[in-house]
Amino acid sequence: MNLNYSDEQLMLQEQIAKFCSADYSFDKREKIIANSLGHSIEIWNQFAELGWLALPFSEKNGGLDFGPIELSILFEEFGKALVVEPYLSTVVMSGYLLDNSSVDSSALIEEIISGTTHVSTAYVEANSGYDYLNPQTQILNGKLNGNKSIVLNAKHAKYFIVSASDNSEMLIALVAADAAGVSFNSFRTFDGQTCGDVSFENVDISENAILFKGDEAIAALNEMINYATLCVSAEAVGCMSETVKKTVEYTKERQQFGVPISSFQVLQHRMVEMFMEAEISKSLLIKSMLQLNSKDPNALKTLSSLKAQIGKSGKFVGQEAVQLHGGMGVSNEMSIGHYLKRLTAIDSQFGNRSYHIKKFMHL
Amino acid sequence: MDINFSKEDLAFRQEVKDFLANKYPKHVKEKQEKGISLTKQDMIDWHKSLYEQGWAGYNWPVEYGGTGWSPIQIYIFQNELAHAQCPTILPFGLNMVGPVIYTFGSQEQKDKYLPDILQFNTWWCQGYSEPGSGSDLASLKTKAVKEGDYYIVNGSKTWTTLAQNADWIFCLVRTETTQKKQEGISFLLIDMKTPGIEVKPIITIDGDHEVNSVFFTDVKVPVENLIGEEGQGWTYAKFLLMHERFGIAGVPNQIFSLKKLKEITKGRIDDDLQREIAEYEIELNALEFTELRSLAALANGSHPGAESSILKIKGTELQQWLTDIYVRSAGQYILPYEGPDGFDSNSVPSGPEYSHTAVSRYLNFRKTSIYGGSNEIQKNIIAKAILGV
Ligand SMILES: Cc1cc2nc3c(=O)[nH]c(=O)nc-3n(C[C@H](O)[C@H](O)[C@H](O)COP(=O)(O)OP(=O)(O)OC[C@H]3O[C@@H](n4cnc5c(N)ncnc54)[C@H](O)[C@@H]3O)c2cc1C
Repeated sequence: MNLNYSDEQLMLQEQIAKFCSADYSFDKREKIIANSLGHSIEIWNQFAELGWLALPFSEKNGGLDFGPIELSILFEEFGKALVVEPYLSTVVMSGYLLDNSSVDSSALIEEIISGTTHVSTAYVEANSGYDYLNPQTQILNGKLNGNKSIVLNAKHAKYFIVSASDNSEMLIALVAADAAGVSFNSFRTFDGQTCGDVSFENVDISENAILFKGDEAIAALNEMINYATLCVSAEAVGCMSETVKKTVEYTKERQQFGVPISSFQVLQHRMVEMFMEAEISKSLLIKSMLQLNSKDPNALKTLSSLKAQIGKSGKFVGQEAVQLHGGMGVSNEMSIGHYLKRLTAIDSQFGNRSYHIKKFMHL
Repeated sequence: MDINFSKEDLAFRQEVKDFLANKYPKHVKEKQEKGISLTKQDMIDWHKSLYEQGWAGYNWPVEYGGTGWSPIQIYIFQNELAHAQCPTILPFGLNMVGPVIYTFGSQEQKDKYLPDILQFNTWWCQGYSEPGSGSDLASLKTKAVKEGDYYIVNGSKTWTTLAQNADWIFCLVRTETTQKKQEGISFLLIDMKTPGIEVKPIITIDGDHEVNSVFFTDVKVPVENLIGEEGQGWTYAKFLLMHERFGIAGVPNQIFSLKKLKEITKGRIDDDLQREIAEYEIELNALEFTELRSLAALANGSHPGAESSILKIKGTELQQWLTDIYVRSAGQYILPYEGPDGFDSNSVPSGPEYSHTAVSRYLNFRKTSIYGGSNEIQKNIIAKAILGV
């Protein structure tokens, strides 16, 4: 057993941390959110130049073939800086499906790696809840019909990857966003990102647009969601450790009754609890990313335990941080409330705590 | 002891129901039911309808134009209002400065301010907290220096709720630097139109503009706007805080919200959600009866004391819990954000309807454990005043 990052992994971590502190300040993030795009083309190009957009892709598709450990490193740093760029939807989720399909997608992957193209995966429906394996969306006679919800970064996607059924099995298809019959409505999310409802009306689907079929489609969708679950969990761990750090700093500075409020023992204990929640979450993250990396038979059970723990710890840390900041905690100008927002959003994505506890029990 | 309402109480409840059926302004009712935010005029119309019914001073003594209702009647009244989804009754005039004026003000002040408060001709806001003085309110620095017939006020207040709508602000100001910081504080009423006052919005994490910073630069306030005696402001403030905390538990609204949540989640098979809702309901029942016990004590003539801190802490914890259950029962559909720059009514995102307001409410309600004396400060009060430690 070795629980230390390799030198290369440490270098990656340092590079990302440096970038986030130099080029992704909270003020800058707020400006990025306020512009009509909702993310920054400039930052995305920098991601491309730094090679980050190539991280998880296989070598045959021009990628670096990095796995769960490196993705966790990246997302933990993203969490600390509350990065809103659509890395998860384009690179992790859509990237996974494109990279693992038997249909050759190398040209599109090249576009993603170079930073010119976004792809969004549309797998949630208005009534699906967290059960993604029974889509109402249909592909019949080469025509796609249906509606998808909560499609991350829908507004900027050049392509959608869509889950559907042909009445006997599941299909996953690649659809150009400008194809006839595709329309969408885009929304801001409360945590500073964007998502959309996407409708497909008699959209032509050719045979080579089908990325996966049947059991392969189910396996690919599940795997994609597992990767995404790990990534947002790592992000949550980053959010938590930063939240704890910021709260400790704030309470040391804030004076009431002639003393720093950090001198009140009741607040000290609360911060210790926050710190411990962040630490145990990080432990499950490490266990989970290592098991996924080594394809351990218990990997999925551990992943569910991680996501369940994140739901509990993230809420606790986020809420306590706001409380300990007093009025400043609920001010939108301070970063602290935005950590609570992201942590709340993360619990809701890819199965919340209650969903993953059940999954844990049954695995 | 008798757990049932008396005949008179039941008749009273019918009277409230009749009012709500016939005289509660239709346009306000409609917006409330659809979850559309109210304008300043809507709020005024709502309060005026209460005034016309003679109920604006629902917790005031008869001699000042109030109803003189018993605590149980007030409880019934608030419950019926919550069930009809009425807007809150704004506390700043009716529950805060009003009682201070009729308890500590001069006859001229009572004549001048109380009728307008009851009729809602004036919108009040509360100028206590300052950037450097939140929990440690008595350390406040906003200065009022007497010059002839005026106080000259300089300083700043913060987190001032709805100051953007206010005609008047009641302020705690420092009129003297004393050994004991509580002793140099005075209670001053200030017309928001006075030159030198500037109101700047503070946006909260739910995206709303509910609170403000208020800056005072050489603001001239007539000396007759001082309540009671100079240097006694802290006593009045403490009296007022007791009133502010009372009712902060929000039991009636929670009962209504719980009812809606049960409708929403009916038939859902996630048994752990149903179980959690039951756990919440048990605690809400306990809170409701805790409130009833203190109402009964009030009816017997005791003043709201440190017990109101229990209601504040437990009430806000339960409110926050409920908003959290809403969020979690909506799952991923909470993500699209319905804020000032979020979606509009022409393009409502898919997913269950209640999911669109769940997060805003959740985020908004984080304030309840912070304001009105934070829950940590309330615990300090209970420890000291009740446990005697
Ligand atoms: C939405 C909102 C609306 C408001 N409306 C108004 C208004 O209309 N008018 C008005 O005057 N004020 C208003 N307030 C201000 C409110 O009363 C203060 O925020 C509150 O008193 C806390 O002060 P603070 O924000 O400065 O936090 P701080 O006092 O800095 O407290 C920070 C943290 O330290 C804790 N703490 C402080 N002292 C102690 C202690 N001795 N022991 C243990 N813990 C301690 C607090 O509980 C809190 O968790 C509002 C606040 C909010 C958030």
